Amino acid sequence: MATGRAAQVVTRQVRPILSVSHNEARSRALALYKAWYRQIPHIVNEIDIPKSTKQCREKLREEFAKHKDVKDVRVIDMLIIKGQMELKETVQKWKQVGHVMNYWKETVNKKPTDFLSKFLEGKD
Amino acid sequence: MAGVATKLTTGLTGMGVARHPTTTLKGLYAKILRTTAKMPDDASYKKYTDEVVRDRAAVIEKHGTDWKKIEQEINCGQIEELIIQAENELNLARKMILWKPWEPLVTTPEPDQWKWPPPK
Amino acid sequence: MASNILRKLSGSLIGVGLSGSRVSQTFNIAPTVLSRRLSSEAQTEAETRPTIRKHDEVARAHVTDFGRYVAECLPKFVQKVQLTGTDELEVLVAPEGIVPVLSFLKDHHNAQFTNLADIAGVDVPSRKYRFEVVYNLLSLRYNTRIRVKTYTDELTPIDSVNDVHKAANWYEREIWDMFGVFFADHPDLRRILTDYGFEGHPFRKDFPLSGYVEVRYDDAKKRVVVEPLELAQEFRRFELNSPWEQFPNFRDTSVIEEAAPAPEKK
Repeated sequence: MATGRAAQVVTRQVRPILSVSHNEARSRALALYKAWYRQIPHIVNEIDIPKSTKQCREKLREEFAKHKDVKDVRVIDMLIIKGQMELKETVQKWKQVGHVMNYWKETVNKKPTDFLSKFLEGKD
Repeated sequence: MAGVATKLTTGLTGMGVARHPTTTLKGLYAKILRTTAKMPDDASYKKYTDEVVRDRAAVIEKHGTDWKKIEQEINCGQIEELIIQAENELNLARKMILWKPWEPLVTTPEPDQWKWPPPK
Repeated sequence: MASNILRKLSGSLIGVGLSGSRVSQTFNIAPTVLSRRLSSEAQTEAETRPTIRKHDEVARAHVTDFGRYVAECLPKFVQKVQLTGTDELEVLVAPEGIVPVLSFLKDHHNAQFTNLADIAGVDVPSRKYRFEVVYNLLSLRYNTRIRVKTYTDELTPIDSVNDVHKAANWYEREIWDMFGVFFADHPDLRRILTDYGFEGHPFRKDFPLSGYVEVRYDDAKKRVVVEPLELAQEFRRFELNSPWEQFPNFRDTSVIEEAAPAPEKK
């Protein structure tokens, strides 16, 4: 009850982007996930990337899981819109190999964590 | 009216010579007036639009089919352009009925929204 | 041509009702313009410095009249009408009213701003609605320009004006790309300037000058790779302020003026 009242206090009337309720946003997110999932075999087929369908689907799941804690309906909508744009860019092959491979960030070195590797990196 | 020279070209690409410009215009102006009649009487948009349209309709009434004199007196482009303007106004008036712009302000801005330079 | 609009406007402000015919309207206008010019001369007499730009009081009167006219016709949407220091007319509207206002300015007989010259964005992070969207319009018929401004935040969509002005299509894509303002009902909203896969909106004030990533060709991978930007600490400091203030006298002054209220009608 107390949380309900607290939630009411911060609620303000805003204009929705796409969805008016959390359930609607959820179904949109699922639809986007399914669309990506079904397109991935074609993407792997069309674009010359050294990744299998399975690896791509793992990456897809990972990208969605990044935002699993987002609760604001409008933020979800905005992420969905951007995700749809990304999907279109990929399927239409506007993205080149480099663009698609950027999801994996293979050349990015991991930040050193323990003392020795930090020392060898030459950074504090 | 006899003795009025036929217009051969408007001289503008994409805008052909109108067949019966004055008839068309009269029809359009009547339609605009019928549309604005559905708005409340104190709406400024209605007041000013009616005024412009009545003015122009009166000029056309005065000169009959003499497009040269009409163009000269209205002084807002060729008679074909007047038709385009009237069509636009008619479309606008129809949309205005839905938008109801004569109502009071829909949203008041935040106090610092239009301040410049902006507060830090 | 330009006098046409004034004749219409002032004619309607003073002459309507008293005189139906156009001839007497044009006569009616003469004394007002004259008196305005005289009063403005009295005001500007003090300003004689050659380096200061002088106001064109006649043009100012024209646009003030027109600004008042727009505000009177659309009281539901127009929040404020103001003039800049260079005598340009600005109409500040509520975000709900951007399509009606631009339609009115495009299609109304006395406006005919048929040309959308540009759409721009402004980011002021200290405001609740941090983005301003600015529409610059040109009326070829009356040889006048007008600026329409509205506002939004990161998550509130603005109606696309693509149905009113076709030119808005790419301009709105640019605003979306640079500021992340979402335009509802835009037919083809996608990035236009940034690279595919680019994250963030570069014109936001919280976007760092150097960006977040750098792009290079990787010889081993045989492709272009994107990596997080690593700047040495000494290159990370951007001192954009100069050590002295160029115009301390003008720190908080604004040259923007609200359009004067309409003269009392008799």
